[in-house]
Amino acid sequence: MFSRTVLSSCKRAPKASLLRGLATEASAVPAVLEVAQVDAALSKKTARPNLHTGIILNRSPIITRTPTAFEKAYYAYQARIHRALHNPFPYDFYFKQGSPLESRFNIEERRRERKAFGAPFGMQTGETSEAEKLAEATMRDEEEAMPRVHEADINSDFKNLQRRGQRNLYLLLQKQENGMAVWRFPQGSVDRGELLHCAATRGLEVECGNNMDTWIVSRNPIGVFHPPSLASTGGTEKDVVFFYKGHIVAGQVRPNRTHTQDFAWLTKGEIKTRVDADYWLGIKDMLSDF
Amino acid sequence: MSVSFLKSNSKPFQLRGIVARLYSTRKGEVSSSDPQKDTIRRYLYPPNIRNKASPTGTWRPDVARALQRAIPSVQAHETIERAWLLHQRHLRKKRDAELQRKFNCMRQAMQELEEIDSRLFREANKQEDPRARSLAEVEAMKSMSEPEKRAVESRVRGLFPRELRIPTDTPPKNGWPNEWRAFQRPLA
Repeated sequence: MFSRTVLSSCKRAPKASLLRGLATEASAVPAVLEVAQVDAALSKKTARPNLHTGIILNRSPIITRTPTAFEKAYYAYQARIHRALHNPFPYDFYFKQGSPLESRFNIEERRRERKAFGAPFGMQTGETSEAEKLAEATMRDEEEAMPRVHEADINSDFKNLQRRGQRNLYLLLQKQENGMAVWRFPQGSVDRGELLHCAATRGLEVECGNNMDTWIVSRNPIGVFHPPSLASTGGTEKDVVFFYKGHIVAGQVRPNRTHTQDFAWLTKGEIKTRVDADYWLGIKDMLSDF
Repeated sequence: MSVSFLKSNSKPFQLRGIVARLYSTRKGEVSSSDPQKDTIRRYLYPPNIRNKASPTGTWRPDVARALQRAIPSVQAHETIERAWLLHQRHLRKKRDAELQRKFNCMRQAMQELEEIDSRLFREANKQEDPRARSLAEVEAMKSMSEPEKRAVESRVRGLFPRELRIPTDTPPKNGWPNEWRAFQRPLA
């Protein structure tokens, strides 16, 4: 244990901290590390694991959430109470007397009254004048807003960034690892002396092209993952992946064909179905639920 | 100033001949030259009505009937309120739990980074000065065109970018901007 105190500058937890990661480590590893730490005072990097940065690129929701049936009913209920009790609306301040805008407002207001309280309310006084007939005609011809469901939802086009407008979408790349195709977040290595958030930006550009306007949120990593160390590389080589959160604001992914075969923009539930079990356990807490 | 012979709350029978009257004023009000100001004043400071239920006359004439239609009963109203507050509580707890999980991930990452490399840890914890320009940025900006310079300056370090869109009820007409000119931002 003495060699450890040589290394540490301030507070360093006991050996248990090494075993605290999420991946399972071989029991032979601590023994090997003890030997390595003897000359660790000379070269700091011997015991140091290989650093990688992963990027969790998020497309934020484009449209607001659909309210649940209960929420809709509650809002309608509160609107009825407010309509019954509110202060008088200053009609003549907003609408000039006799203008077509006023007639249109009156028609719409009568409709809202009838919808809120029922038949005796919102009854028309007098017959429809010319202005009202014109107003009704303009209401019919008004242009409609864009639909909330995009064709990408219907076609399940996972590359389209307009799919699932209400949800948070995350970028996932399909890569070859040991001959198997796995889905992962974009990842990059860290050069000597390079800061982690710079490495994250660089890694994203290498893997996904620079046709995207992205913003890495902060200098701090949002999570850490220990990939299971392979038997072939030996117990000394350890990898650590620090994840950085980024937002995509414009553009689209142009994947580097040498590294990646495919990409997709997926919600959290869809990521769970595509990704390995231990990778999922490592990343699930960093993602937004909705 | 406009001319009115009758009606609109003036005192027609007491006056003879043509009198200039403002449409905007009513009985007992001080009239200014601006009709809009009069309207605003009337709605901000409604006159006292002493023989009705509400002194400022703020209720609609059929308020009792409308309220009967709106609220089914006292018990129903209270149940609805409690159900809503419970629903809000569920949402709040879920949101807080998600934030707690994310924060724990972040704390774990920072602890491990501190153990691995103290220099990287210090750099990660540095507070970003929005006004500062790194050496790399200054070097890169010397050889940039005007629009590119503006693009670099508009992205303030440590602040959200302006292009990050707030969710709306319906998606934008132009959809997602897929074509974006590749622009290399100098690494901070």
